[in-house]
Amino acid sequence: MSMITRSTGILYKVWSCHLSRCSDSVHRQGATMLAMVVCFTMSTGIARGQPKPANPMAVTLADFSKRVDDYAGLHKRLAGQVGELDETKSPAEIAAREKKLGDAIRAARADAKQGALFTPEVSAIFKKLIQQESKGRSVRVKQQRNEAEEEVPAFTPQVNHIYPTTFPLATFPPHLLKVLPPLPKEVEYRIVAGHLILRDTEANLIVDFISQVTF
Amino acid sequence: MNPQAPARFAALLILSWSLAILTGQELTLPQRPDSVRFAVFGDSGTGDTAQYEVAAQMVKLHEKFPFTFSLMLGDNMYGSERPQDFEKKFERPYKPLLDGKVDFYAVLGNHDDPNQRFYKPFNMNGQRYYSFKKGQVRFFGLDSNYMEPDQIAWLEKELQASGSDWKIPFFHHPLYSSGMHGSQIELRALLEPLFIKYGVDAVFAGHEHFYERIKPQHGISYFTSGGAAKLRSGDIRKTDLTASGFDRDRSFMLVEITGDELFFQTISREGTTVDKGMIRRRDAFKPATAATTGVGIPR
Repeated sequence: MSMITRSTGILYKVWSCHLSRCSDSVHRQGATMLAMVVCFTMSTGIARGQPKPANPMAVTLADFSKRVDDYAGLHKRLAGQVGELDETKSPAEIAAREKKLGDAIRAARADAKQGALFTPEVSAIFKKLIQQESKGRSVRVKQQRNEAEEEVPAFTPQVNHIYPTTFPLATFPPHLLKVLPPLPKEVEYRIVAGHLILRDTEANLIVDFISQVTF
Repeated sequence: MNPQAPARFAALLILSWSLAILTGQELTLPQRPDSVRFAVFGDSGTGDTAQYEVAAQMVKLHEKFPFTFSLMLGDNMYGSERPQDFEKKFERPYKPLLDGKVDFYAVLGNHDDPNQRFYKPFNMNGQRYYSFKKGQVRFFGLDSNYMEPDQIAWLEKELQASGSDWKIPFFHHPLYSSGMHGSQIELRALLEPLFIKYGVDAVFAGHEHFYERIKPQHGISYFTSGGAAKLRSGDIRKTDLTASGFDRDRSFMLVEITGDELFFQTISREGTTVDKGMIRRRDAFKPATAATTGVGIPR
């Protein structure tokens, strides 16, 4: 239930963000109309005593959040087994711990395939959210987003593979972070060469990805 | 024409050139007692000759101007980050400073593995963003690669709590720049309203491989110092933003804060002063709303 509330909150944020960037009244009215239709549909169902209708988008995002939380739980458990990393003067220790944690996660998710977290439904919503968020951005902002991506050589991500350590990590558009579902600290989003990657922040592993994401 | 004129002219030329060099090498920082002294440099981690030469210049000036810590503005490590890379790209070039108990405070650049936060000599306390205080100066190290809402909320809380201290955020991507990458306008839309609201005084960034001082924006002084190893020669385009720029060689900054004054001096790899000056602290903590500052969210 709380996840549905969280996802509905995200939907609200997307809508209000869209609304705040709509400069012309036609678009503003359109966004408001959309919200009213959604509210009306939901409230009439409730008034008729029907089971509370779940917004399909909220349900899908709630499912995504659950999958992410499950992954974060696995990460925490394995990190506990491998040993938490404190600050150290030894880069070798940092590298060894990163590898050890990565190996443990890989072993635990040996059968993980693309789509384990970014299910086809989640992927479709994410692509839409990203496109909607980008739609109102200026040419300069879009250009800077593309430039940040272009700093990374092209590569094909694979689940359970490490993110190439010699590649820079493309800077993530900060406004996009405001509309995508928040993540626990164990994972982060990155957009690289047209792929939205879910990256394990300590093990440097590619947990899942969505291809053909465009700004 | 006087036959000695060319010789005299040449002598004058040599004299003025020597004077310029001597003046350029002069350390102008006031070195007042109890001042906060630090070095600032970014985009350093190549492990190549240029990095070592800049580091040697820093070491040389540390003898005259004993700064106690350094701000590293990201791209601390280009390419691979194996243990031997930490040695080649950080520990060896800055060894005399590390041995001299100079602390380094790093932030993450787009070329840095976020696990650098666990590397003790970078003093990040295992965090991707953090703050620390020296004397009456509060520093805010940010992760500009991943400006998530939690980080913004944290920054606002920290700025609010810093009261009348000098407030100096440092991070990798410059909010204003006349270089190839240009001003990071998305990031600016999120950060600058907070900087204005809570009276930030100066901001240091890297990413662009040169030195640039921006004309004060909303009363805030912005510096880009991303040429401690890499150089994008001739990359500063002529814009209205630049107060001073240097893109002909590598450089780093020395800074001294005393009372309400911040003195800075920017030094080239060869030891020449390429910029210097002083800025005053803004009025101590006068809360203002972002709406009154005229800063909006660009699209």
